[in-house]
Amino acid sequence: MTAESKNVENDKQQLRTGLWATVNERYPGSMITKSDFVALAKSKKPLSESRLTFVSTAGVQPKGSLPFDTVHPIGDYTFRCVPSDSKPSDLEIHQLKYPTSGAERDINVIFPIERLQELQAVGLIGELAPNFFSFIGYNMDAEMLERTLAEDLAEAVEAEGSDVALLAPA
Amino acid sequence: MQRAIEKRGIPTVSITVALDVTEHIKPPRAVFVPFMMGHHFGVPFHKELQRRIILDALNFLATTERSGEIKMLPWNWAQARQEGKLIEEQFRLKS
Repeated sequence: MTAESKNVENDKQQLRTGLWATVNERYPGSMITKSDFVALAKSKKPLSESRLTFVSTAGVQPKGSLPFDTVHPIGDYTFRCVPSDSKPSDLEIHQLKYPTSGAERDINVIFPIERLQELQAVGLIGELAPNFFSFIGYNMDAEMLERTLAEDLAEAVEAEGSDVALLAPA
Repeated sequence: MQRAIEKRGIPTVSITVALDVTEHIKPPRAVFVPFMMGHHFGVPFHKELQRRIILDALNFLATTERSGEIKMLPWNWAQARQEGKLIEEQFRLKS
């Protein structure tokens, strides 16, 4: 078995088949299911000349900013700006819905701010947008999420002139 | 979220650990890593792995041809954890 086909096997084993249907049954409308694809936007520049932003659902936020409401029954539909020149010690995580055991020791496993700063420093990435963005993934009203948070955040990303966006849905 | 950004003309790529969710949402581009939730970029202090996952995702962004493509990245969680442990041991020896 080649290394690649072995990995595909591993991936299949990790699929949680049927979970999606179960969640949607218990909390109708909480999960987004799309049947269409959005048109691909074209990269205008090579990565080494592009301004990159990073968007995370990990609940990472600068110390001192209003903590995400992690216990609200329908979720928190706000986002926080994380200055892209922040140090890990400037940041904290407010989110209960994913294991933060790794991130508490090294925040780069979920919010790789130092790695992105290094890639920019060596010129592989042109520049980092002034801010990265973060919110929490616990939002039970999918329609409201699309109408408010998704649009607000996309507007903020666009306003900073980003050419490329990297996302990590926790 | 990703769709909203892409619709504004900004190319996007996401890194996912939940393939079923990603398949339902149909983002424009995604790479899948078979890692634990909350550990999209690997394990603590494994800088090289964290860096390579970012670059894998960004390279995929530049080469995607049709919307909705999901690429399986050839990483392995057990191996990542072993390498992470070794790195931490070396780190402890030095300090």
